[in-house]
Amino acid sequence: MSDIQSAGSKRILKILPYLSLLSVLAIWELVVDTGLVPNTLLATPIQVIELFIYKLSHADPDGSVLLVHVLTSIGEALTGYTLALLIGIPLGLLMGWFVVAEGLARPIFEMIRPIPPVAWIPLAIFWFGVGLTGKAFIIWASGIVPCVINSFVGVRMTNPVYIRMARTYGASDWEIFKNICVPSALPMVFGGLQVALAASWTALVAAELIAADTGLGFLITMGRRLLMPDMIVLGMLMVGLTGVFIGIVIDRVEKRLVAGVRR
Amino acid sequence: MSNNGKREAKVTVNGLTKKFGELLVLNDISFKVYEGELLCIVGPTGCGKTTFLNLLSRLIPPTKGNILIDGKDADPKKHNLSFVFQEPSCMPWRTVKENIAYGMEIKKLPQADLDQRLNKIMELVGLTESANLYPNQISSSMEQRVAIARAFAVNPDLLLMDEPYGQLDVKLRYYLEDELVRIWQELKSTVLFVTHNIEEAVYVAERILILTNKPTTVKSEVVVDLPRPRDFRDPKFVEIRKQVTELIKWW
Ligand SMILES: Nc1ncnc2c1ncn2[C@@H]1O[C@H](COP(=O)(O)OP(=O)(O)OP(=O)(O)O)[C@@H](O)[C@H]1O
Ligand SMILES: [Mg+2]
Repeated sequence: MSDIQSAGSKRILKILPYLSLLSVLAIWELVVDTGLVPNTLLATPIQVIELFIYKLSHADPDGSVLLVHVLTSIGEALTGYTLALLIGIPLGLLMGWFVVAEGLARPIFEMIRPIPPVAWIPLAIFWFGVGLTGKAFIIWASGIVPCVINSFVGVRMTNPVYIRMARTYGASDWEIFKNICVPSALPMVFGGLQVALAASWTALVAAELIAADTGLGFLITMGRRLLMPDMIVLGMLMVGLTGVFIGIVIDRVEKRLVAGVRR
Repeated sequence: MSNNGKREAKVTVNGLTKKFGELLVLNDISFKVYEGELLCIVGPTGCGKTTFLNLLSRLIPPTKGNILIDGKDADPKKHNLSFVFQEPSCMPWRTVKENIAYGMEIKKLPQADLDQRLNKIMELVGLTESANLYPNQISSSMEQRVAIARAFAVNPDLLLMDEPYGQLDVKLRYYLEDELVRIWQELKSTVLFVTHNIEEAVYVAERILILTNKPTTVKSEVVVDLPRPRDFRDPKFVEIRKQVTELIKWW
């Protein structure tokens, strides 16, 4: 891609993103300032930044400072996500190789898979209340699906020559699984981590919108209840930024791990 | 070298038959491989050479017949088999050294023996300097040498090689053929080498089995009683090569 672009167009590409961002912000500010869109419906960027600074140190009007919301969300996300990895990856790997594991787990998995994770929210509130456990459960339910699928497919894509090679040396099924299938599936498994994270984050916000007393989704809901459009937008932006932040962290960890099993 | 009458049979194949559904691929094949022999099998494409090796290594079950190694039913868990596949078979997540060690790991060799054999075999195939490289850092001929080293490293009762040099260019093939003969002479393994390259067969083999078209049987056997190192231009070499070619032509 970059090879076919001239030096001039590369320089333009460096400037254009800032230009477009700035113009969006300017237009956004203008449509509200000129009264084209009433301020009761849409906050201006400046109001959002003001609220951001205010919320850094003030708990009102929603009950907690911004950092608490962010940490609540991250805590819930990572709990559910970690559980999804710990259960989903081994399960998918085993299902990919052992007929018994596939036979037992697949029907249950296929039955649960088409249910959107957010559909679990009412049940989760019922069972676990509005605290961390309920949300971790919903995130777990949405994160585990890509974990299982990627691990399963990863094992299934193992080059059969390696398996035959191990067999002729007399390797047992377990040895083949451990020595051949698992390392061969790892790139696919790592690929699933980001997918699972995206799924988890989406489900988290949905869960918090409905039932929570802190968290970024809750902040958005409070903005609606208190008729504060600036708080709604701040919540949305923070969800995006925090998601990106977690994504980068996971990506770093992943790169470390992949470097450990380099090929 | 061709005192076959006196040599002990390492592998005995009795009435081996394989059908895939209705398709009869191998039809009642019987022969012996002698202890320490380098036996070549040549046959037309699609005649069932790979199927045949898969049967020998028990990757697939025979329809009829049996395969005995040292008088007992062949079993990869009991016997010491090795297989060099036509396709590259180096695991990309293991270094050259770890790839070569894999067979010995499965055989649960004590670490000291393993290290000792590993060093010897790497020296023998000239991979000592590449020991810690990954397969994507070495050439495809080196990859095939890794596969061969891994196969020889377990001191196999029977080493099966399925057109291992099919993909390589002529120069490398010559080189690796010499290397194969050298390792085989040094380690005294029993080797079953499948190829459709007649010249290659005459160059490396002590004995050549010629297969027919499907349904496949053993058509005939040619003993190659030439001194080593062999020379492609030696009139005797040319004569045997012609003989094998004729046998393959007349179905
Ligand atoms: N698993 C299978 N199921 C059905 N038919 C098969 C199977 N494996 C092989 N065959 C058939 O058996 C015949 C022999 O195949 P095989 O691969 O053993 O031939 P080959 O001699 O090794 O060929 P090549 O020289 O191309 O390597 C072919 O006609 C093939 O279509
Ligand atoms: Mg073949």
